[in-house]
Amino acid sequence: MNSFINALPGAAAQGLIWGVMAIGLYITYRLLNISDLTVDGSFCTGGAVGVMLIMNGWNVWFALLAAILVGMLTGMVTGLLHTSCGIPAILSGILTQLGLWSVNLAIMGMKANQSINVNKYKLLVSLRYLQDFNKGKRTFLEHPIFVVGMITLALIAVLYWFFGTELGSSLRATGSNPSMARAQGINTNRNIVLGLMVSNGLVALSGALLAQYQSFADINMGRGAIVIGLAAVIIGEVIFGKLFRNFAFKLLGVSLGAIIYYVVIQAVVSLSGINSNYLKLLSAIIVGLFLAVPYWKGKYFAKAARKGGSAHA
Amino acid sequence: MLEIKNIFKTFNPGTVNQKTALNGVSLTLNEGDFVTVIGGNGAGKSTLLNAVAGTWLVDSGSISIGGVDVTHLPEHKRAKFIGRVFQDPMLGTAATMQIEENLALAQRRGKPRTLHAGITAGEREQYKELLKTLGLGLEERLTARVGLLSGGQRQALTLLMATLQKPKLLLLDEHTAALDPKTAAKVLEATQTIVSRDNLTTLMITHNMRDAITYGNRLIMMYEGKIAVDVSGEDKKNLTVEDLMQMFEKAAGAALANDRLLLG
Amino acid sequence: MKKGFAILMALCLLLGCVPALADELYRVGVCQHIQHEALDEATQGFIDALTAEIGDEVSIEIQNASGDNGVCLAIISDFVSNDVDLILANSTPSLQAAYAATSDIPVLGTSITEYCVALGLDGFNDVSGSNISGTSDLAPLDQQAALITELFPQAQKVAILYCSAEPNSLYQVEIVTAELEKLGISVKPFSFVDVNEMSLIAQEACDYADVIYTPTDNTIAASAGILDNICHPAGKPVITGDTGTCRTAGAAVLGISYYELGSLTGRMAASILKEETDISTLPIAYAENVTKYYNPAICEALGITIPDGFTALPAN
Repeated sequence: MNSFINALPGAAAQGLIWGVMAIGLYITYRLLNISDLTVDGSFCTGGAVGVMLIMNGWNVWFALLAAILVGMLTGMVTGLLHTSCGIPAILSGILTQLGLWSVNLAIMGMKANQSINVNKYKLLVSLRYLQDFNKGKRTFLEHPIFVVGMITLALIAVLYWFFGTELGSSLRATGSNPSMARAQGINTNRNIVLGLMVSNGLVALSGALLAQYQSFADINMGRGAIVIGLAAVIIGEVIFGKLFRNFAFKLLGVSLGAIIYYVVIQAVVSLSGINSNYLKLLSAIIVGLFLAVPYWKGKYFAKAARKGGSAHA
Repeated sequence: MLEIKNIFKTFNPGTVNQKTALNGVSLTLNEGDFVTVIGGNGAGKSTLLNAVAGTWLVDSGSISIGGVDVTHLPEHKRAKFIGRVFQDPMLGTAATMQIEENLALAQRRGKPRTLHAGITAGEREQYKELLKTLGLGLEERLTARVGLLSGGQRQALTLLMATLQKPKLLLLDEHTAALDPKTAAKVLEATQTIVSRDNLTTLMITHNMRDAITYGNRLIMMYEGKIAVDVSGEDKKNLTVEDLMQMFEKAAGAALANDRLLLG
Repeated sequence: MKKGFAILMALCLLLGCVPALADELYRVGVCQHIQHEALDEATQGFIDALTAEIGDEVSIEIQNASGDNGVCLAIISDFVSNDVDLILANSTPSLQAAYAATSDIPVLGTSITEYCVALGLDGFNDVSGSNISGTSDLAPLDQQAALITELFPQAQKVAILYCSAEPNSLYQVEIVTAELEKLGISVKPFSFVDVNEMSLIAQEACDYADVIYTPTDNTIAASAGILDNICHPAGKPVITGDTGTCRTAGAAVLGISYYELGSLTGRMAASILKEETDISTLPIAYAENVTKYYNPAICEALGITIPDGFTALPAN
């Protein structure tokens, strides 16, 4: 139990990093109603760009900015495939993700795995810093939870402002009711591209952060990213949906959903004496329980009411 | 204000589902004309409105609004001239956004969307006043999500949004058809008020023959993609439902077999 | 929401049936990246050797990440926060995670081909100078190339099949290509993205070449059956980089025993724990014995004559 508690900061840090990606996914999935499969590719793109630039001497903040910009480019590609070429959104995402495999490999110099030594380079976040903090070698300001937490809050603030502007409102309208949006003079095609760009920019940022955290960028690091992202979005909604009405808090809920996901994984690893080969099955069961409990609760109380307000409620 | 010259539109050309929905329609509306459009199912009424709005482009012919040729403009570019209310109350508003946000979107129709605030405090006051005129209590619920409103309330809101900026052309596609009689009456009343107050050029499709006679200064009947009857002014005021049916039979050369038209 | 959290905590407590470890024992954490024969053998060799040396003084926890990097990080986090005395990182992603996570706890790697590449170290001459050491599964690549020409003197074209996502593959591909070209053979690389593409690319490789070579590649090792299903009917022999793959799909291999590699690592671990050897001065160890193995069933089916000096691959 002790080791689980000690490992919690690591799980929380991982969750926060993936939370950035989940927030990006929220924009396309919930606001624009698009299932964007680009993310499996753009997540790795962010990691690759971030790592290669840092290794070439770039300041880590500029490397992150570059990762965001390249991520936005991938979103633009998917958007144009969908709006200008008429390809359904899911397929557009798949096509971009396919192409990104080769692009990512090329960015990493045709290597599948590019490590970045935390001793050699000044990284923003790293698994190492967690331990350094525990030993008193680093301040809380350098702790990944603080750094990524601040980044997340800043992002939420920016997004909250953006989606309150005229342009942001028109984006929300595009996702809510495209015909009405067009009738109000909104260029829905342009908005879809914009939405995809913003989303994938965030996904790439998350990839760049994770690559630093784990000290390497790997061609496969994005594999299954959309599943994790969607799980975070849905967990956040299910658990915090009733509490959080405000848009900013909804985004916070998404980030918390990602943290919960990774805490669950850590719990299964640290606490169960079960063979870790069953890890994925266990995680699926636990996450499934999370999602089912509110539904069962609702049904249970509904039943009690129908039976005339049973005393056993 | 609206000039439609000889437009044609065929759906699914060359297949077994081919249908010529607009078969050479020409129509000129002067500023301030309030035209009611009636006709049987499949006559081409909604198609005509969609053609004007730009939901798709016509095969041939031309359309101009306020002197501007819009024949080749996409829907969102024509929107600055047009206010629309759809038949489906769900279509006219964004369900996940608030009432005031919807109104703010309509306020900015036709203008470029910048990074300025989506809605200002001054606007809120303005919207409150506007919503009061509907008499539905919506002015107290500015921040309620539109998805929570009833069909009638949403339709009234859509009407408000469509007329917020005094559009050059107002297109109403059976906008009360999905509402209960009481709400429908309210919405029609609101429509009349707004149209006469702002002198809006309006095309209103209706299945209700009495409404078609009562409202507007001109009446058009469509049949098989063409305009079969066009009555205005005094002639229109003196029409009865029986007159309409006779006119239709004459133009169509066939008995009228549509319950809704008969019983409306 | 509070209820949900409470349920989670209850579940955790229910599952938390791991008894507290006694303080006197050395605690060793093994993180294996994915399940397949070679890695499994290495882990087993490690455990057997370590237990043989200091069996009653050590407690070993074995975890498998099932190929998921996120899980790998969670496992390493768990070890580090448990403050184990030594970590065995079986395969590159485990090593990278461990290296990132801790600079104090000794980390021994195994089944890793190139440490310098895996960790981005400069001027690495087998001694890391930090808390990393371990064993490498690199069988001498020049000898592997020579094996191909020894078995197939008539061969003129060799296809090298590898997974582009494998961190260790490219390095081996480049060196083996150079060695083979020195021996006058034309070489063409055939890379695939993941196991779904493997059969297609393997087919192309068979069409081109007389002999196929695969480096130590986890994806190929984990899906050796597919390889066999393509190359065997095509009549093209496969020289593999590791014995596990050879058992299923290969004609011959310059084998190192992953079990032996693991044992070597286990002995290194024992010396670090018991004799307090300084890991920062411990050089990377390589497999001591290389054996020329051939797969009797496949060689017979393809009609390959085996010269002297080859041992039949034990079936196990």
